[in-house]
Amino acid sequence: MPLLEVEGVTVRFRGLTAVEDVSFQVEEGEFVAIIGPNGAGKTTLFNVIAGSQRPSRGRVRLGGRIITGLSPAEVSRLGVGRTFQIARPFGSLTVRENILLAAGREQLGRAWASLRLRHHDRAAARATELLLRRTGLEAVAEKRASELNVGELRRLEIARAMAGRPRLLLLDEPAAGLGVDGILPLRGIIGDLRGQGVTVLLVEHHVGFALSLADRVVVLDQGRVIAVGLPDQIRRDPRVIRAYLGEEEQELEPAPAPPAGEAPGPREGGRAEGVGGLA
Amino acid sequence: MLLANLVEGMTIGSLYALMALGLSLVYGILRVLDIANAGAYTLGAYVGVLTWRLTSSWWLALLAGAAVASGLGWLLQRHLYVPILASGPIVPLIASIGVFTALEEAYRLLFGPYILKLPARIPLPTVRIAGTVVSGVQLLVLMVAVAAFAGIALLLDRTRTGLAWRATAQDRETAEAMGIDVGAVTGRIFLLGYALAAAAGVLVAIHYNAVSPTMGDMPAYKMLAIIVLGGLGSPFGTVAASLLIGLVETFVAAYVGFLLPRDAIAFAALILILLLRPQGLFARGVAAR
Repeated sequence: MPLLEVEGVTVRFRGLTAVEDVSFQVEEGEFVAIIGPNGAGKTTLFNVIAGSQRPSRGRVRLGGRIITGLSPAEVSRLGVGRTFQIARPFGSLTVRENILLAAGREQLGRAWASLRLRHHDRAAARATELLLRRTGLEAVAEKRASELNVGELRRLEIARAMAGRPRLLLLDEPAAGLGVDGILPLRGIIGDLRGQGVTVLLVEHHVGFALSLADRVVVLDQGRVIAVGLPDQIRRDPRVIRAYLGEEEQELEPAPAPPAGEAPGPREGGRAEGVGGLA
Repeated sequence: MLLANLVEGMTIGSLYALMALGLSLVYGILRVLDIANAGAYTLGAYVGVLTWRLTSSWWLALLAGAAVASGLGWLLQRHLYVPILASGPIVPLIASIGVFTALEEAYRLLFGPYILKLPARIPLPTVRIAGTVVSGVQLLVLMVAVAAFAGIALLLDRTRTGLAWRATAQDRETAEAMGIDVGAVTGRIFLLGYALAAAAGVLVAIHYNAVSPTMGDMPAYKMLAIIVLGGLGSPFGTVAASLLIGLVETFVAAYVGFLLPRDAIAFAALILILLLRPQGLFARGVAAR
């Protein structure tokens, strides 16, 4: 059974149809990217999965269970972690506190357990340390989150989402607004998630970045799915290229900036072996 | 004289702080100025009187007052404030004024417009420090206040619940996305906020030996000014501002009290300070403590 099933989801805002009849699935352990030009409905679709947007039609299942209509908190407790496109840390809490909060959230529902002093919660503290290390945030652990730079904020978003040990991790444009020096470490961190067996659904505007990470790609344009396939099929798909034409065709050119240092073509890990460069 | 005023000023300030802390926590979590919190103060005092008449126990009076008011707070947030929260901050504010007025009238109908007495005996000795007498009641107020402040500081700073409260106060939506049950957080904050106000009500009733339906009038306005002075939503600032106002009004009343009544002095001081520091003394958020 797929971990995530999106079935015929349609979202209308007044007259505007943001997402139309979108269906796709994500298997356990898979890394799926949703790409598409601006206004394609990527974030709206994301919000439907995370529970913060009710679809006009269609439904979403997590591990077979229908989660449409649940609140974001309920969806989160069922194991869906998410980051926000615009990083939204709790600015006045320290980096460590931000992660710790998410690391022990199963206790937050139980009044008395959560009244225990924080430093007595060893498991959450250990998980927090591990995530600080994995995301390279150890040096700024005691800083208030409001003092972080954009790259650190993105990593904090991921650490925080991972802290809840999600079954499914939703990444909403983690590379947006980052320069090459910010994207490189981020790419490493997101790439590592695969090794940890996390199922990831990535929404990305940066095509090169998404294609270099994903096992499978879903392409949205004007709210509809126009293509689904392996990254290398997507690179060559004329419909995809057309959708991006005029807007950001440069991103489909060889050697895009985001996955800097990595030649287009054979990707690390050996998947899609032997497939040539871009179309 | 100086020391006596200091002790009385701290006592009054501590009572203000208990009340204002509740208001400040509620403001921090819902961004609603909850006038009805002062109704919980009066409710606490009445429940305290009734409990004391039945049991002659000051601490049962304190406990019962806090418990009943907690219940009121929980009901109000659940069935009034949260449902109308989406209509902007003014609607809940007006609703809370309505609730406050209705509560006052309810007290008047139930208990009459008279002053009831609460002559509880406090089993604390009268202490003499450097020639100044500190009464048992003053000691009790100071002890309850210190315990409450320490407890809240520990809760906010050192527990996961406190972390979740601070996070929710800062960004409700993100807190929710992270799996925090913001409804439960809001409920617990009202339980605590109303219990604090009611505890202050019972202590005031014992301190002045008087309970009346309108005893919440002056605190309702004064607490608003105090939490603004304390930097809206900052618990530390709220306590500091409360103590400051308690001290200022006690000292000024003692030395030039023949000119103005006590409450007028307090408000004059508040206006003066806010003119100089419109952002309050400690302008940070609840989450920023």
